[in-house]
Amino acid sequence: MLTKKLTYLMALIIVLLIPVTGLGSETNFSGFLQGLYGGGLDKDNPTPSDLTASETRLQLRMESFSDNAEFFGRIDFVYDDYYQPSTNIELREGFAKFRIGSFLDFKIGRQIVTWGTGDLIFINDVFAKDYLSFFTGRDDQYLKAPQNALRMALYTGVGDFAVVYSPRFTPNRTPTGERLSYYYPMTPDGGAIVGAPEYLFEANLPAAKFKSGELAGRFSRYFGNADVALYGYRGFYKNPVGFDMATMSGYYPRLNVYGASVRMPIFGGIAWVEGGHFDSRDDTDGNNPMIPNSKISGLIGFERQIGSNLTANIQYQNEKMIDFDKYVETLPVGMAAKEETYHLLTTRITQLIMMETLSFSAFVFYSPNEEDLYGRFLTSYKYSDAVTLSLGANIFDGQDEYTSFGTFQKNDNIYLKVTYGY
Amino acid sequence: MKFQKTTMLMILIVMISGQWTYAGDNQAMEIMKKSHLSMFYAADDGIAEVKMTITNSRGKERIREFAMLRLDLEDGGKQMYYTYFRKPHDVSRLTFMVHKMPEASDNRWLYVPAVDLVKRISADDKGSSFVGSDFTYEDVSGRHWSEDNHKILKEDKLGDNDVYIIESTPIEKYKGFAKKISYVDKGHFLPLKEEYYDKKNELIRVFTAEKIEEINGIITPTIRKMENVKKKQYTMVEFTEIKFNIGVGEDIFSERYLKNPPRNFIK
Repeated sequence: MLTKKLTYLMALIIVLLIPVTGLGSETNFSGFLQGLYGGGLDKDNPTPSDLTASETRLQLRMESFSDNAEFFGRIDFVYDDYYQPSTNIELREGFAKFRIGSFLDFKIGRQIVTWGTGDLIFINDVFAKDYLSFFTGRDDQYLKAPQNALRMALYTGVGDFAVVYSPRFTPNRTPTGERLSYYYPMTPDGGAIVGAPEYLFEANLPAAKFKSGELAGRFSRYFGNADVALYGYRGFYKNPVGFDMATMSGYYPRLNVYGASVRMPIFGGIAWVEGGHFDSRDDTDGNNPMIPNSKISGLIGFERQIGSNLTANIQYQNEKMIDFDKYVETLPVGMAAKEETYHLLTTRITQLIMMETLSFSAFVFYSPNEEDLYGRFLTSYKYSDAVTLSLGANIFDGQDEYTSFGTFQKNDNIYLKVTYGY
Repeated sequence: MKFQKTTMLMILIVMISGQWTYAGDNQAMEIMKKSHLSMFYAADDGIAEVKMTITNSRGKERIREFAMLRLDLEDGGKQMYYTYFRKPHDVSRLTFMVHKMPEASDNRWLYVPAVDLVKRISADDKGSSFVGSDFTYEDVSGRHWSEDNHKILKEDKLGDNDVYIIESTPIEKYKGFAKKISYVDKGHFLPLKEEYYDKKNELIRVFTAEKIEEINGIITPTIRKMENVKKKQYTMVEFTEIKFNIGVGEDIFSERYLKNPPRNFIK
């Protein structure tokens, strides 16, 4: 109820602000039309379709602004006959933002939020992601899922403060067994990679109460060339990592995150360091095996140009579980145990040629201790300013089926994408 | 005594000629400094709509459109740039910010609004292409005159304009060019033409100021062309809606405005 009231209140504020700010003095329209078709490479993937993507997407964008206020909307119409109904409409973004005085900015509505320093590794960025899009070849802009939020930024001499409040928890979008399969530990034979319809993945969302909102904050400032930030988050795990034995379904346990990051130019490139403490609020002692333990996560990365139009980066992430002994003690018999420390290495290489009209890029995640990997490969050719052709692949591999990327190892796919922008 | 006189005379000749040579270099350096300031530091700040047309060897055109804001903190010194992309569609609403530091590496930021991402970009690539055009990052923000040795080859005419023809060679080894010949107008000191040569002394690129106009009392090139002789392609850049001394503050060149374009300047 309260969220509904809040939504009405926000809408009312926006409407009232239109005449005040003179919003609408400049209006522009744009968008694109896109076809995306992807096929699975693994014959024994338990999903009902061999196609990992088969969609036609029309995006309409509209912006309207005056000196101190701006409205932006972006709406997607997607046709995919795999799903029922086959046409889906999604408001990707729809927000109003305005400046109050010289030190305060507001952004209200459906929006995408990002912060933190990692390249496709997120520690303090506890905002919604769309891994289904990410794994099937949709554009980079679809990695982030929109959330309904109120964002406030305060600019002071000490530094910048930002607060993002989402009245309703927005989870990550993860593979459901329809387009992509996943590992399920509770099958009769003690765990397997499964697909829909039998194992259509559905998790229980937190009750739609005031308490189920999400609050994220950041303080940032520059020290010379270094941008330094402190973060805090109060909400829930974005993936359904909890398991409710009563309903035999996944859910989103409570989570707080506290962290910091530094990013600066050095050695002819950019380096970043980020750390965070994941405080598992529903399992503070670490003795509930159905909820992940708290952990400390750290990340270090470096990027630089290594040749003409050739850029590369490397990252190393380390995650250490807190109360590991209790985790081992309480782990049910027969469940595969995680290691106390998780290591992840990533690298990205991007090459642009022919006046930046042809690009090649590769991004590889590799965990030496979970012995799994995920590679993203993409070739894109800008035939003209309007038309882009892309050919890409997503490759997963893993020694075990229950690891971060091993769970998706039957979802290897290649895709073709054609975009017409206007 | 005679020996001493000869020595004195020789020393005098060396001193005079030395001073004369010095004066020559100094004059070339002064001209290039003035040229740099009139080209890249006109007024204290400025804004323009920029249309870049890249034409490849087969005659195919690609167009980039953006608004560009500039603020000089010191003539020939620290400078700030803010770019708001309009076209093509895949970069529309993207913003790009540079804090140019003549004595150190530039600081650069890119903001991708579709994912709300602020990315810092390493600035070790002054010679690489600016948004896929024939202009490099350095062509856009200027190469500091103190990085090259300059000498006046001659004073001549280019079309109807009286020009200094100046040869510049990088003091430290540089990938961008081995030699540059500039045709600098004697009146307003803008470079009317620049020829870039590689180390084999082959012509690689040619810059020309195609159209020069007076705006708010400031003489500025409004159409610029860069031809890549080797690749047989060229980029035309057209500046419109140019305004100088609009009073843009230093605070505009911050992350706040990177994420929220200053709509009072950029429509």
